[in-house]
This record gives sequence, structure tokens and C-alpha cells, in this order.
Amino acid sequence: MVPGAPMPEALRVMIVDDEVPARALLREYLGAEAGITVIGECANGFEAVKAISEQRPDLVFLDIQMPRLDGFEVLELLDPVPGVIFCTAYDEHALRAFEVHAVDYLLKPFSRERLAEGLARARERLGAAGGSAAPAALAPMALAASARPAGQPLERIAVRDGAQVHVIPVERVDLLEAQDDYVAIHEGGRTHLKHQTLAELAESLDPARFVRVHRSFVVNVERIARIELLAKDSRVAVLSDGRQVPVSRSGHDRLKSVLG
Amino acid sequence: MHPLFARGQRIALYAGASAVAGVLLAAALLVITPRPWVAALAFAVPMSLAYGFMILSSWWVCRANPLRRGWPSITAQLAASLQASALWTGGAALVAVILLRAAHLGPDRPGILKDLAALFVIGVPVYLLSSVVHYMLLALEDSHAAERRALESQVGAREAELRALRAQLNPHFLFNSLNSINALVGADPEGARRMCERLGDFLRRTLALGAREAVPLREELALVDRYLDIEQVRFGERLRVERAVDPALLDCTVPPLLLQPLVENAIKHGVQNVLEGGAVSLGASREGETLVLTVENPIAADAPARAGEGVGLENVRRRLAAFGARAARLTAGRIEDRYRVKLELPMTHGAGGADA
Repeated sequence: MVPGAPMPEALRVMIVDDEVPARALLREYLGAEAGITVIGECANGFEAVKAISEQRPDLVFLDIQMPRLDGFEVLELLDPVPGVIFCTAYDEHALRAFEVHAVDYLLKPFSRERLAEGLARARERLGAAGGSAAPAALAPMALAASARPAGQPLERIAVRDGAQVHVIPVERVDLLEAQDDYVAIHEGGRTHLKHQTLAELAESLDPARFVRVHRSFVVNVERIARIELLAKDSRVAVLSDGRQVPVSRSGHDRLKSVLG
Repeated sequence: MHPLFARGQRIALYAGASAVAGVLLAAALLVITPRPWVAALAFAVPMSLAYGFMILSSWWVCRANPLRRGWPSITAQLAASLQASALWTGGAALVAVILLRAAHLGPDRPGILKDLAALFVIGVPVYLLSSVVHYMLLALEDSHAAERRALESQVGAREAELRALRAQLNPHFLFNSLNSINALVGADPEGARRMCERLGDFLRRTLALGAREAVPLREELALVDRYLDIEQVRFGERLRVERAVDPALLDCTVPPLLLQPLVENAIKHGVQNVLEGGAVSLGASREGETLVLTVENPIAADAPARAGEGVGLENVRRRLAAFGARAARLTAGRIEDRYRVKLELPMTHGAGGADA
């Protein structure tokens, strides 16, 4: 802290880690720091999404490897996004962490001093942005798109419906449909809305399985029962559940190149 | 491809030797039926050259009929020698007639017949001689290959051992364990001490086991127990362990460091991803002459289809291969909400199993 500067308001902090000792350590370290209030702890991603959106902490200490939802997926589902300090034993996620504008990246085991450095960085960042929850200026969709490791297709899609979180394995997805700023994810008779553009989501999926058949539709090729020609250059894909999806000319070209 | 054709130099040398043999053949024919030297050489040298290359065919006959098969191979060689010699003699008859008619070189008809009879009689043992040489060449080649294979498998085993050790001493496991110790130091110093001891014990056992070729199942399970003790501190109630180990099997020997990577996988790709955690089940049973080891873990209901596979599994597969455990089998798959890895090893007792 800068000497002579007025004492800033206490930072409201939340701890998210699935391991009891890891949470205990953070609690201990943070307890000794001035100007920090730990407002809650979560042991998994589901709890974290709920608690963070309800309690709006300024800063979250976030583990990456957790049950059901990993740290990046938790961030994807938050709007606004709090300041984040990742805490993990894995150094290979550091690049992704920077891409989602994490305040800091602590490698376990870390020292008190290293943690204090991260806190100072957080105060600076949050202060500069003018008060709490400031990094929310980042759109969560931007995070989501950049949060994928390059060259590795998405294996599951996390969506949030109020306080409820669903994790949908991509192989269960039948169809994605653009709806303004959202994507409707159709999956076995259910539909989930995700705040993301169709182009962004499609880009992170396996191109051999998900094909953009139309400006507004991306279809799981394994669900296509047949393609019907309605008129010249006007086709529909009939899915195995009977649903019909328009196929544009360029969409048909893409389909042909995938199906061979 | 015959090894002779590997280099042009060899072919030239061989052709030269065949030509020299042709001069000797000419001398022999001169003794049987006197004629001018030119006539004898014009006939014998080309025929000898031709036969020199014909008998190389025995290379393939030798390869197809290894000597260890005994009489059938010898019979095949005899048949091949008669065939080759007959073919040669037939060709020679044609050449002799052409030489006589076109160049008036060579003996008359009875003379030609005597020549042909001589060629046939010489052709058979020469062919058999070439078979003997070829068998020797093949044996040499085999022993080279065996040497190379032995060397390769040695290198492979060493590599697998290193890989296993590296995987065993997974840095993330160490980092997380150190973090747990760090946390315990403040709240539970006694616990921190215990954790240090466990970690030390685990590392020492890993290094000791990794240096051996086979270890009693008892020791392999003890290593797994140390590992689970450490992970228990991290995961608390979320990690439970179930054991179904037939005590009679504890002295069976197994390649070392096979089970622990599987258990690590079971936690990393299983228990850790399930909200409420679950049980890792260890099993050891006997099916006839096969030792069956199983590791089972729960998997999240919404886990992607590939969940559960990890580098750990791949490492264990490679290790099994490197140990030359031909009868060993590793199968893995999802059964509803559990993932199960099954390791089948031939039952072995005692060998290398002196208790440490």
C-alpha cells in the first residue's frame, strides 16, 4: 500500500477451491492481510457461479481443476466478471489466464509474499477501474471465446439459467441456432440459451462434427438423417428427430466437404 | 532382394568368379570330348555365368524352407537342385546346337549329349553348395537381428522405466501435496509432519520399486496406499477407498509401478470431477492362471465420452509392452457411471519377489 494514501475500502474476497487444505491456506494468508474481507468459500464450480453472482465479490481466488465446472467455465458463466486470481498447481494454463484478463496467476505452493503481490495488483486494477467489480467492463462472451486452448475443440458447453448451471457434453448437442446476442442450444428436446454469438461458439467446436449449414444454424452432422432439395439451391437438412433446418448453398458445400 | 544385389561391386566380383569357374568347366569338358579350346570356352564360360546367377535363386528357397524344419526342407532343396540343374542343362542343349550350327564350334551329337550329362551331374552339387552358403548367410542375418531386437527391447524397457518414474513423480501431485503441507503447517503442525513423512515414504518406495523388474503385489499395493493417504488429505471425505484384494495373491509378482498410475488416473479423471466425490475401488482376484487387478472410479454423469483416459493409461500400456508381458492385457471402459480398468497378468510367484 502506498504510504499516506487513504485506507481503501475493504476488498470483498471469495475463495473457490475443491481442496480443503488449499482453502484453509488461503483463508489463513488472507486473514493476516489488512483490508480484506473473505465473504465466502466454494468447493466447486456450481457453487461458485451461484455465490459469485449473488454476492458480487470484488476478487475471487479461483482454482482451475474442479468438479463439473473448471475455473474457466465458471468465468464464462459470470456477468459481470469479478477480478480473478487463479490458484493452481498447473503452469500450462497461464496463457489462457492472461487471455481472460486474470489479475494474477499463483502457482501452488505459493508464499505469503507472492499472494500479497497479487493482492496489490488487484487493488491497483480495481482502483484504477473506479471501484469494485470494475473488470466487468469485459464482456463475458469475449472471455469465453478466448478461453479455449488453441487447437483443442470444446468438449462440453456450460450454460446458465438463472441460478442453475447446465453442462452439456457436445456430443449431446443436436443443433445450435442464432437468436440475436444468444445461441439457442438444442439438445434432446431441451433448449438452453447461452450469451454468446453463434460464430464464436461454432469456432470453438470440432469442425468435423459441427457444420454451419446456414447463417443462423450449426448442426451436429451425426444427427442429420437426410438432405432434401426443395428448389434449386434451396435445401433442408432433416434431423433424426424430424426437425428441419434450412441449408444455404455455401452451407451445403461445407456439409459435403465434411461428409465427403 | 538377394544380398548380392545390394552393391554393384559384389555383382561384378561374383560374375568374375563364375567366369573363372567357366574356364575350369571348359577344361573338364575338354577331357571328356577333345575339341579346340575356343570351342570349349565359347560353350562353358557363358553357361557357367548363367548358372552362377541361377543358383542364387536358392536364397529364396532357403528362406522359405528353414533348416530347423528338417527333412521337408532338405527334400525341397534336393528337388530344387534337380530342377535348377535340369533347367540349366536344357538351356545348354539349345546353346550347344546353336554354336554347332551357326559357328561350327563344338563336338558332334554324341559329344553334345556327353557334355549335357556332365553339366547335369555338376549342376546338382553346385546348387546344393550354394544352398549351404545361403543357409549360413541367413543364420548370420538371424543372429544379427536377434542381437538388435534384444538391444531394442533393453532400450525400450529402460525408457519405459524412466517414463514411469517421471509419471510417478508427477510434479502436479508434488506441488499440490506441498500446498497441502503448507496449509497444515499453520492449522495442524502434527498433520503437516505426518504428511511430510508420507510423502517421503512414497517417494522412497517409488524409486526403490522402479529399479526392480518385478515386485510382490503386496509392495505395489503398499505404494498405492501411501499415495492414497496423501491424496486423502487433499480430498478429505470426497475420496473413499474400497479394497477387495484376495490375501492369497499378495505374494504374486507384478511389474512395478503399474497400479499407482491407474489409481492416480482414477482420482484425477474420476473422483475429482464428481461433485460429491466417490470411491476408488481396488481389486485383485484370480481367474485360473491369470491375476486380475482392477481399478474403478466414479465419473461425472455429464463427462465427455472420452473421460477417464489419460496419459497414465498409455504409460501403463507401454510398460506392459516393454516388460514383454505377452499374456498381459489391459482393458478399460465405462460401465454406466463408473470407469473400470482391468489388468490381466499371468500368475507368477516368487521370482524377484524378495521382500524389501
